Amino acid sequence: MDWLKALYESFYNALIPEQRYLAYLSGLKMTLLIAAFAVLLGTVIGVVVAMVKVGSKGTKSRILKILAKFCGFYTTIIRGTPIILQVIIIYNLVFTSPNTSRVLVGTICFGINSGAYVSEIIRAGIESVAKGQMEAGRSLGFNYIQTMWQIILPQAIKNILPALGNEFIVMVKETAVISVIAVNDLMKMAQYVGSRTWDTIPPLVIAGMIYLIITMILNKIMGYFERRLAQGDHH
Amino acid sequence: MIITKNLQKAFGDHMVLKGIDQHIEKGEKVVIIGPSGSGKSTFLRCLNLLEVPTGGEVIFEGATITDPACDINRLRRQMGMVFQQFNLFPHKTVRQNITMAPILLKKMSKEEADRLAKSLLERVGLPEKADAYPGQLSGGQQQRIAIARALAMNPKVMLFDEPTSALDPEMVGEVLSLMRELAREGMTMVVVTHEMGFAREVGTRVLFMDEGIVKEENAPQEFFANPQNERLKDFLSKIL
Repeated sequence: MDWLKALYESFYNALIPEQRYLAYLSGLKMTLLIAAFAVLLGTVIGVVVAMVKVGSKGTKSRILKILAKFCGFYTTIIRGTPIILQVIIIYNLVFTSPNTSRVLVGTICFGINSGAYVSEIIRAGIESVAKGQMEAGRSLGFNYIQTMWQIILPQAIKNILPALGNEFIVMVKETAVISVIAVNDLMKMAQYVGSRTWDTIPPLVIAGMIYLIITMILNKIMGYFERRLAQGDHH
Repeated sequence: MIITKNLQKAFGDHMVLKGIDQHIEKGEKVVIIGPSGSGKSTFLRCLNLLEVPTGGEVIFEGATITDPACDINRLRRQMGMVFQQFNLFPHKTVRQNITMAPILLKKMSKEEADRLAKSLLERVGLPEKADAYPGQLSGGQQQRIAIARALAMNPKVMLFDEPTSALDPEMVGEVLSLMRELAREGMTMVVVTHEMGFAREVGTRVLFMDEGIVKEENAPQEFFANPQNERLKDFLSKIL
């Protein structure tokens, strides 16, 4: 039974001495903070990009067409390159001052990344609404914005919200990449504990369990909201 | 009331409307028939600019609506439109479907709009459906609500784009009889349809469209009894 005792000891060392459990908690707090702000920023970017993309279809406005090209460029680059590369480039390119807040760096890196995915979620949500709805709204005399706001978006939101929740769950996991620029998120704190105890794996297993618990809880919450949304369906 | 001058519409290289000149007078019930792909729906949709013409002019009550400076949103409030697929707003109740435009666009009070919805629902024979959602109604009922929704803006003309084509046969009658009633009350109507009985009975003028032009037009009696155009004769022989 020696190996069991050794296992117990290594996990004990990874958690209890020097109040190491606090390190995981502060790391988790950082992870959730960055994920939440990133999705928030991503949603703002995503809404704007989606509006430009949807609005530029069939319009004659030159400005909107140029903006749409730019937005297409942005989503292609973000979705076509590894996030770890984006994080390091943005960090080195933009945040060269040593006093920069790391939460801010993380939020901006992942917000810009998330925006590309959220814009596609919103665009798909809007385009899932039948084309006749826009025509019916316009034929009554509503302008484009009014029709979008009063008729299209309230229907699109049912498709958008679940996917947006999913995006948040993905973000919680993906922000682990932020440890490469020395932000003290959950991942970084686990590595830090490992470097103190000279035993790398137990802290990583603990961090993994925390990630798993958080994403499982979030999945449960999402399932609840999805059922609520489905109840409001009158088809 | 509506004048089109050399109205043209192309989708890419494909000319769908090749120059249509029409005067639609107040009180007329113009019925447009023709084979599919003849451009009849496109013509109708050009009248309220749901389809933007690529040439020619549309003039509604003296205003050139094809002019980019024209406030089309304001003019559309005077032109009701009914679609083949009903296009009711599924996230709103029947009452909200009807009152939405009057409240938001005419600044009507909610109480007044609700009263209007009540009287319109009685007129289309569905007073008990005010709180239902469109998804709970049959196709015929949905189309009658769609007509009520268009009427709520008190339009000067009603445009019907194949209003009965998506309906089960036993529901066609209820929609047609409502349209008949509307015609009797003096509404100016432009109707794209395959219902020849309706065209004969209600229309004051019937247009036959084919290959993007109006090939024949006449009063319904003459139109059906004595067609001149070869293509129309062929078309009528196939469907009557």
